Amino acid sequence: MKISRRPLAATVPSMAMGDIAFNLLIFFVILAKATDDSHLQWDPADTADVTSAGAAKVSIVIDAESKYYLNGQQVGIAQLAPQIEQVLGNATGDDRRVLLKVHRTATANHFEPIIEAVSEAGGTIMHVLEEKRN
Amino acid sequence: MKVRRKCKLLVEPPSSATGDIAFNLIVFFLVCASIQPDSGRPQEIPRSEEDQEQKEEVENIEIALTGNLNAVSLNGDTVRTSELGSRLTNLLKSKTRPQDKIVIVKSKTDTPYHHWIDVTTEIEQSGGQITIQREEQQTIQVQ
Repeated sequence: MKISRRPLAATVPSMAMGDIAFNLLIFFVILAKATDDSHLQWDPADTADVTSAGAAKVSIVIDAESKYYLNGQQVGIAQLAPQIEQVLGNATGDDRRVLLKVHRTATANHFEPIIEAVSEAGGTIMHVLEEKRN
Repeated sequence: MKVRRKCKLLVEPPSSATGDIAFNLIVFFLVCASIQPDSGRPQEIPRSEEDQEQKEEVENIEIALTGNLNAVSLNGDTVRTSELGSRLTNLLKSKTRPQDKIVIVKSKTDTPYHHWIDVTTEIEQSGGQITIQREEQQTIQVQ
């Protein structure tokens, strides 16, 4: 004699829909906010007055090993100005903002060429800094 | 005659879901804490030009930076970094035209970024306009 198996219900409980939606929301918020250079190691310099840096199309990092990164990709100093110009394109005003994230102990021979390259590309510099705490 | 309601409505969340609720709350506050917007300082630097024709002779203020964090050179005089702001304010006080307010910043190769930021902040707060002058590197072949 064959015993028929009772069919098992495999539906998602409707009680959990709210939780699932909430978790998805958080997941997409993280994806949208995370920048490509979050994995790079650098300590910001500090200053007394800081303002919100806002969003920018271009972000340049000089990390603790004095390597250059443009939007998270390692680049050489020679390619920096043309690449910034390419990313900025015909943007105007605040859209030409370039975030400069320089490790606090990086020396002038590393950060001055970056400032010059941004200036050549017609970008506006925003030094990313930390507020000084006394 | 009053009829008593037999079944009571469930008004509290099921105790089995408290773990999920706590987890979701932890994730929510972690995300809020980790996503901090960047803060910083905008800086306007004149666009670099190869062929500069100076039509007018303007004597600009020059500041030279080195690896020494306690002192800078202001027009050739050694000045303590703490006194730089007041000295610059005095020098820029009498200058009215924008081109006279240009302060040339020369940095030695070993000048650290945090020192450069401190000095350029002082210049901007004193009303100066920063211009960077870099040391040109030339390769000379000796035969």
